[in-house]
Amino acid sequence: MNPLLKTWGAYVRLSSRWPAIASIVPFIPVLALWWATTALEIFPRVFLPGPAEVVRAFVDLVYKGILPEYLADSVVRLAVGAAWGIALGIPLGVLIGVSRSAHRALWPLLLFFQAIGDIAWLPILVIWFGYGLTTMTFVIVYTVIFPIVLNTVLGVRSIPINMHRAALSLGASRPRVLWEVVLPGALPNIVTGLRNGLGYGWRALIAAEIIVGTSGIGFLMFDARRAGSVVEILLGMVILGTLWYIVDSWILAPVERATGERWGLVTR
Amino acid sequence: MRRRSALTSVLMFLAPFAVLLVLWAALVPYFQVNPRLFPQLGAVVEAAIEAGRDGSLWAHVGASLLRVTVGTALALLLAIPLGMAMGVSPAVSTFLTPLFRFFSVLAGIAWIPIATLWFGYGFGAITFVIFNAVFFIVAYNTLLGVATIPKPLRHAAASLGARRWTMLTEVLLPGALPNIVTGIRTGLGFAWRGLIAAEMIATNVGLGYMLFVARDFYRTEVIVLGMIVIGVLWLLIDRLLLAPLERATIERWGMVQRA
Repeated sequence: MNPLLKTWGAYVRLSSRWPAIASIVPFIPVLALWWATTALEIFPRVFLPGPAEVVRAFVDLVYKGILPEYLADSVVRLAVGAAWGIALGIPLGVLIGVSRSAHRALWPLLLFFQAIGDIAWLPILVIWFGYGLTTMTFVIVYTVIFPIVLNTVLGVRSIPINMHRAALSLGASRPRVLWEVVLPGALPNIVTGLRNGLGYGWRALIAAEIIVGTSGIGFLMFDARRAGSVVEILLGMVILGTLWYIVDSWILAPVERATGERWGLVTR
Repeated sequence: MRRRSALTSVLMFLAPFAVLLVLWAALVPYFQVNPRLFPQLGAVVEAAIEAGRDGSLWAHVGASLLRVTVGTALALLLAIPLGMAMGVSPAVSTFLTPLFRFFSVLAGIAWIPIATLWFGYGFGAITFVIFNAVFFIVAYNTLLGVATIPKPLRHAAASLGARRWTMLTEVLLPGALPNIVTGIRTGLGFAWRGLIAAEMIATNVGLGYMLFVARDFYRTEVIVLGMIVIGVLWLLIDRLLLAPLERATIERWGMVQRA
């Protein structure tokens, strides 16, 4: 027990100094378990290949240049879709949050169209735009925009009315109030919405690539499915998970925390 | 008086949809939109009546709902006890948090290709995808919920002589409940999308399949009907089942401070 505790203590000290370690080490037992299961051939190798084979497939696909290209395709699609989603979503959210009649007219529609869900749009989008970037971008924009709009509305509406009154009585014009009170006040919610939206958008992208794709990580996985190559499917899953994990926990979560703290909305 | 205001608020909620329907009924014939691109309102209503009469609509809806129910129930049965067990020890929960984050990111749609390989096309693969989407997110949220219960509460219960079982049912489970319910809501949201995507690929009955087959024949009225059904169903599940549940648990356990 004692040496075990000692190693644990060392691990805790180490991971508190370099937090990155704490997000990598827990995967080692999982990898080991995976390797052991495949080495013992509990499941047929065709159904569950080992980590070594996945790494080999990774090297192979990188060498052929397929993987970097597909990865770039997926990331570009997500970025384009997210940019449009932000550009449309934030103004719409502010409008609905500020104006009572806009809220009355648009809120129910928003809830309903959000409920339809991105993927249900795929069949009709394929009829409209064919298989291509437009369809994918539409799906991602559609997915990203709702969490952003809903959260922006929430943020705008949660600003204390006294803030408006104070700014107005100090002589601020309406645009000035919008710029200096409404937007900063709603910012933490907007960032939360963006984070949720990207999470949904990422999944929608994979679904779109699986169903209508001609390239991208989702397509790689489904193409491998057609060929019955489990190695490449697993590789695709590992890449997807890793990429999103990095984006989410090293970029989005810190940004969210930073805006929240900057505007003093986090009570510790 | 209260009833009347409830009625007006329902009408207010429905009014924008009425406007949308009128626009649809007026604009599509006016611009002579090709029915292969977008259907007329009448065609969708006819498609609904026809599909309702020959029973195919009910078969699709029933199949989809059954898959969601089975997948979710299995996931909850496993995820909540597991999440509780892991959350009790702070060391275990900090160690496992990254793992569960990783897998809840992957949950759902990304499993479709391999699920179809493992289980073949059909009920198994789709239920597995739903199970996956719900399981990891709920387990992660349960773990988080248990881990964030203030230490003094646990110490207080322990020093008042609570046994393990009492601790579990009176402190840990209630404390984690708001998180668990939030997790269920998010997980089901992902599962619903995963369901539609999986049905497009891997089956021959269900709402996603209904949409995807209609696309092959350019039957846009069936596609739009399917989209409306999907939207209404999810709205009903979310607003009538999940949102009240979430509100009730959060208010019950006093996590919301009302102004």
